[in-house]
Amino acid sequence: MGVTCVTQVPLAEGKSVQQTVEILTRKLEQLGAEKQGTFYVDCETYHTAGTNVGTTAQSGKLLYIMHCSEHPLSTFALFENGPCLVADQNLDVLMIKLKGFFQNAKANKMETRGTRYQFCDFLIKIGTVTMGQSGRGISVEVDYCPCAVPGDCWNLMVEFMQSFMGNHAPTVPPVFNSKHDALYSPADTMMQYMELLNKIRKHQQGTVTGMRL
Amino acid sequence: MEAPPVTTMPVSGGTINMMEYLLQGSILDQGLESLLHRLRGLCDNMEPETFADHESVYLLKGQQASPFVLRARRPLDRPGAPWHLRYLGQPEAGDRSRHTLVRNCVDIATSEVLPEFLQEMGFRMDHEFVAKGHLFRKGAMKVAVYKVFRVLVAGTADGAEPLSLSYLVELSVVAPAGQDSVADEVRSFAEQLRPLVQLEKIDPKRLM
Amino acid sequence: MFPQREEKQLESSLETLIAQVSDLKNSLGGLICKLENDYDRLTWPSVLDSFALLSGQLNTLNKVLKNEKTPLLKNQVIIPLLLSPDRDEEIMRLTEARVPVFSHEVVPDHLRTKPDPEVEEQEKQLTSDASRITPEVAQKQVQTMNKLCNNLLDKIIKEERDSDVGNLRQNKATYNPADTNALVVAVAFGKGLSNRRPPGPGGPMGPGQPTAGGLLPGATGMQQVPMNLPPNQQHMPGGVPMAQTGQPGKMPSNIKTNIKSASMHPYQR
Repeated sequence: MGVTCVTQVPLAEGKSVQQTVEILTRKLEQLGAEKQGTFYVDCETYHTAGTNVGTTAQSGKLLYIMHCSEHPLSTFALFENGPCLVADQNLDVLMIKLKGFFQNAKANKMETRGTRYQFCDFLIKIGTVTMGQSGRGISVEVDYCPCAVPGDCWNLMVEFMQSFMGNHAPTVPPVFNSKHDALYSPADTMMQYMELLNKIRKHQQGTVTGMRL
Repeated sequence: MEAPPVTTMPVSGGTINMMEYLLQGSILDQGLESLLHRLRGLCDNMEPETFADHESVYLLKGQQASPFVLRARRPLDRPGAPWHLRYLGQPEAGDRSRHTLVRNCVDIATSEVLPEFLQEMGFRMDHEFVAKGHLFRKGAMKVAVYKVFRVLVAGTADGAEPLSLSYLVELSVVAPAGQDSVADEVRSFAEQLRPLVQLEKIDPKRLM
Repeated sequence: MFPQREEKQLESSLETLIAQVSDLKNSLGGLICKLENDYDRLTWPSVLDSFALLSGQLNTLNKVLKNEKTPLLKNQVIIPLLLSPDRDEEIMRLTEARVPVFSHEVVPDHLRTKPDPEVEEQEKQLTSDASRITPEVAQKQVQTMNKLCNNLLDKIIKEERDSDVGNLRQNKATYNPADTNALVVAVAFGKGLSNRRPPGPGGPMGPGQPTAGGLLPGATGMQQVPMNLPPNQQHMPGGVPMAQTGQPGKMPSNIKTNIKSASMHPYQR
């Protein structure tokens, strides 16, 4: 894994989630990208159960537990602005033990699933974001494999993304800024997914109706 | 660079309900060599393994009467190796028919942001110590012979001073719940270490 | 079908038995060799290792014998088919030159399943004696015998215990139960691990103190640590480590417990 950028693509005018995904994947295939199976990223939200005595600082803070197909044996745990812990899957077991302190907001479980493409040194994952049963949006992940320093390859990545996303290509992800010259890590990708999924959830909770699939 | 293949693994995993079967004892410094010698003879053939870990014990206090305890271990001798996060349930000594202490356990390998992460979760460090010693294996059984050091400067292992003139000896197996036959195995192995060390099921609560 | 399977089972269990016994024989040979040749530089741990190995192998052998898949060997009959007064090279090889011939002379000894004729005769005599005494007398004799045995057993057990303790003292004990307990509670609850030495004049903190104190703030995110040290468990006989009452500023009690824990520990200098 190299440097990864995760972003959202808005629905094409008058199209459904499914149709917009098709438009994107067709463009990728026209470029010469090859289909390489599927991928998933899921994210569960935990909140502190009740108020913890003497530790007001962390009450109300949300803890996210994530998994992804790129690192199938790992579990990622992160806070919105805090550190991201990479652990093995026994962390899921620990969360069950911790249920008196952290409660799983089951209704808030989100995931994105879709197809994984390879195009030369790039990995592209186009996913449908779902919460409950309904599709909520489209995630696009672009991974530039040969490089580990975000600052060194961002321009190249933008250029590539413009080639199939047009003017929906994103601006620099915030995680890049903090580690412009530092090495990129899988935790940074999960951070981006968490932010993206949160954004979609908050947006959805604003509007009442779901989207057509 | 070749992209890694996609795997189809279950979304969430981990092994639920693992139990640790444990016996504890100690050996005086002057008896250490004999014990190591004996263990080398009894245990699986392998390179003698030593370890030096720094363990911090964290508490999360909630409305419940007892806080939630987690142990974070960092290897001092293997830079870059993962941290070891451990949850241990209440130990059950059981009656005479049970041969070892049994406690629920969850073992997790994690990245090195663990201390910051635990702080963020609301955990506070309660105490810490350094453990240095030798590790032996026999099948699934683990024998750890280590010295416990008192940490003098919070957060650093440098200058830690030995707690006693003995090494702690722990004989343990982690197995799925219900496999009580492993307790017998642990017990019979412990017998073979007598009279050098007396390994017993010790309920620490009784000693407090 | 059935007998064939049984035969196979018998064969395979015999093979395992032979393998186990030969392992045992080799280890015994090794130990004897050690005792005979290296007695002048033999170390105690190495002898113990050999004994531990033997004990393990005997255990395995017993396990094989008790395994339900092992047929009852008692039910097997061995019949000598051919006896010969001539030297038999094959049997020489199999027995490592211990039995040179398979003749009328040695077979009754090696394949014997009953006691010697004289022993048999004696046994018969005893049985007839026993049948002649009255039940009351027999009962009395049984009681006397039991009493004697119990007395003897008690004596042996007591002697064993005494000599165990005595031996330990003599060989200088290799472990100290008090240390075990101290280590177990230290690892379990952090008792005695306080990294704060008792403060105040006369405290054992050496010249290293200023440096140590100065370094403390540098330990990121762990400044509160000394506050949260294990005072709680100290007042908790038999209890789970309970939550401190959430008053981080409660210094005095803290110091007190630290002093207590320090003075209680025999190894604190």
